[in-house]
Amino acid sequence: MWGAWSSRTAVVGLALAVFVVCCLLPSGYLLAVSLGSATGLSALLIDARQRQLLSTTALLGVGTALVATIIGAPLGAALARVTMPAKALLRLALAAPVLFPPYIVALAWTYVCSNWIYTPGAAILVLGLVFYPLSMLATEVAMRRVDGRLEEAALLVAPRARVLRRITLPLVGPAVLAGGLVIFVLAISEFGVPGLLRVRVYTTEVFTAFAALYDFGRAIHLALPLLLLCLTVAAIAAWLVGDRLVTTSRPVGVRPVAFDDWRRAATTSVVAVLTIALVLPIAILVREALGARGLGAVLAGSREAIANSLWLAAVGATVVVIVGACLGYTRARAGSIGGRLADILLVVVFAVPSTIVGIGLIGLWNRPGAAGTVYGTDAMLVLGYLARFVPLTALALAANVRYVPVSQEEAAAVGGAGWLRTMWRIVLPQVRLGLAAAWMVALIMAFGELGVSILVAPPGEATLPIRVYTLIANTPPSHVAALALLQAAIVFLPLALLAAAMRVRERR
Amino acid sequence: MSEPHVSVRHVTKEFGAHRALTDMSLDVTAGEVVVIVGRSGCGKTTLLRLIAGLEVPDAGEVWLAGRQVAAAGRSLLVPHERNIGFVFQDLALWPHLTVRQNVEFVLESGGMPKPERTSRVQEALATVRVEELAARYPHELSGGEQQRVALARAIVARPAVLLMDEPLSSLDPDLRTTLRTELLRVQRASHVTMVYVTHDREDATVLAHRVIEMRGG
Repeated sequence: MWGAWSSRTAVVGLALAVFVVCCLLPSGYLLAVSLGSATGLSALLIDARQRQLLSTTALLGVGTALVATIIGAPLGAALARVTMPAKALLRLALAAPVLFPPYIVALAWTYVCSNWIYTPGAAILVLGLVFYPLSMLATEVAMRRVDGRLEEAALLVAPRARVLRRITLPLVGPAVLAGGLVIFVLAISEFGVPGLLRVRVYTTEVFTAFAALYDFGRAIHLALPLLLLCLTVAAIAAWLVGDRLVTTSRPVGVRPVAFDDWRRAATTSVVAVLTIALVLPIAILVREALGARGLGAVLAGSREAIANSLWLAAVGATVVVIVGACLGYTRARAGSIGGRLADILLVVVFAVPSTIVGIGLIGLWNRPGAAGTVYGTDAMLVLGYLARFVPLTALALAANVRYVPVSQEEAAAVGGAGWLRTMWRIVLPQVRLGLAAAWMVALIMAFGELGVSILVAPPGEATLPIRVYTLIANTPPSHVAALALLQAAIVFLPLALLAAAMRVRERR
Repeated sequence: MSEPHVSVRHVTKEFGAHRALTDMSLDVTAGEVVVIVGRSGCGKTTLLRLIAGLEVPDAGEVWLAGRQVAAAGRSLLVPHERNIGFVFQDLALWPHLTVRQNVEFVLESGGMPKPERTSRVQEALATVRVEELAARYPHELSGGEQQRVALARAIVARPAVLLMDEPLSSLDPDLRTTLRTELLRVQRASHVTMVYVTHDREDATVLAHRVIEMRGG
């Protein structure tokens, strides 16, 4: 339909180039540097100290995946199949913890749990309470996609509990497992929480090697096993989920079977999880911040960091959504094999730990010549946002574009419209809600980003997360709590707008 | 005249603004095959789902074997206690279970001992001539084979009533004829009461003791 010389080639080509430069090259650079030398290759033969590091990292990943799945999967099942009032709002509130910077949640718990909090077990619990929404959403989507007739056929011969156990759960099992694997990857990639809770894992060691010891070689040496582990597990997760990442349709006219017998248990669980994962951390921060003296000076001192964070996040989110929309469109219109490979690639790239992305970006851009003019500017932060958030945005927008039938593009083409005009007038208007949601989520994630920012931010420049994180060590807790609360409030604003939009949509 | 085995009395069912059935009544005697024909959307499938307990009537009653199982707005007997076999239009074979497991699942809830279950499953598979497919998964079967497995699953518990929702609609004409004959053989051998929904007049001619035409619910 669209020839090689159409505007699509130029636009998609440009987006692909940005994807390659920002998302693939940093990891590719690290792999090339590591595997290209004999000393680099020795990184794969880990010593006793690294074995300890690996076991703590693995413990953090497995533990977090288990805790998050135990909390999230039943909530996802309840959201999919139990009748509850204001479900869209509940879903958003339950999903909110994953949008908060994890170290803020960890910070809140440090104020009430003094000794016990500085252990791997506490880090697992904190990360479990942050990442459970991923398992919840994966389970809910999978539960909604189960053909209602398969359950009805079972209901004719078995009670609901057995139908759930024997028919429904095995059908959603791969999605729950994939969700767990993604959480595993995110947990072992996480830098802020283990750093704050003094748990020594690969990401904190990579950061220390680079930022404290200025040993770039050792940082790369440490990054390689972590990178390979993340890439492998993410690839398995993407393969498990398969085409379902982007295809979200379910059989038309078949209502999913409701499990309203468990409404009371579901409601109790929702309230308990919301209290522990969302209300309590915020309440703790509020209590701590209320005791602050000279708060005005602290806030005034952070004004520049707040402004930096806001405009950089806004610019970053806009560029991320533009590139993500082009890639998402390409993915949505790809054939089944190409599409599946693209899904795996996007998930794998998303799984690259932030500290590794940061070091990769530094390695690529910190050099003489044209690249060097970019290094040391705010553009590095935008490049970091692109590297981290384009894959996820592309996957989300691909799922949106799939709802627009190809025949609508064909009709526009037959009518003489070019690709750009077809996009502008036909496709994009139909996915505008998805674009708006993607922009808000990208804005929230960019605003809270720490792992890449703390490595690539220009000297003297700080975003709010960097300022909060660096103030923790040498500022009264009440001041840090106030700043963290401010950061949470800024995250809440777009979230509240999103909730309002969803509420309006639900009422329709 | 004997008491009806299936009795639908003045049933009305609405889905939002759409009224699928209006004051519908139907009696089916034991061992009878009633074929219901009618255009798409006239409420045929809704009628089967009401009998099976997958929907609850807004008005009216449903009786099975002399026992009231549904009243206006409420189900009085859960679907799995109604002793019903159901062949869905899209068959609804469970994709993660083998043919044997699909059929055996039906018997597991009743607490039947394993040896008896195995023998009953074998018997059901033999009845529809798919014993050799027992270890396969649904996606490894042809359309006709899937159809037979769905029938085996529906009859293995020896239900009192067999409900069939256009079970042959997706098959080619030759296979339809073969399976129709097969179905007739199974029904005549078991004397199961059957309510069969179709829009194919030939199905009605071959299978039915009585044909009912539904028009607009």
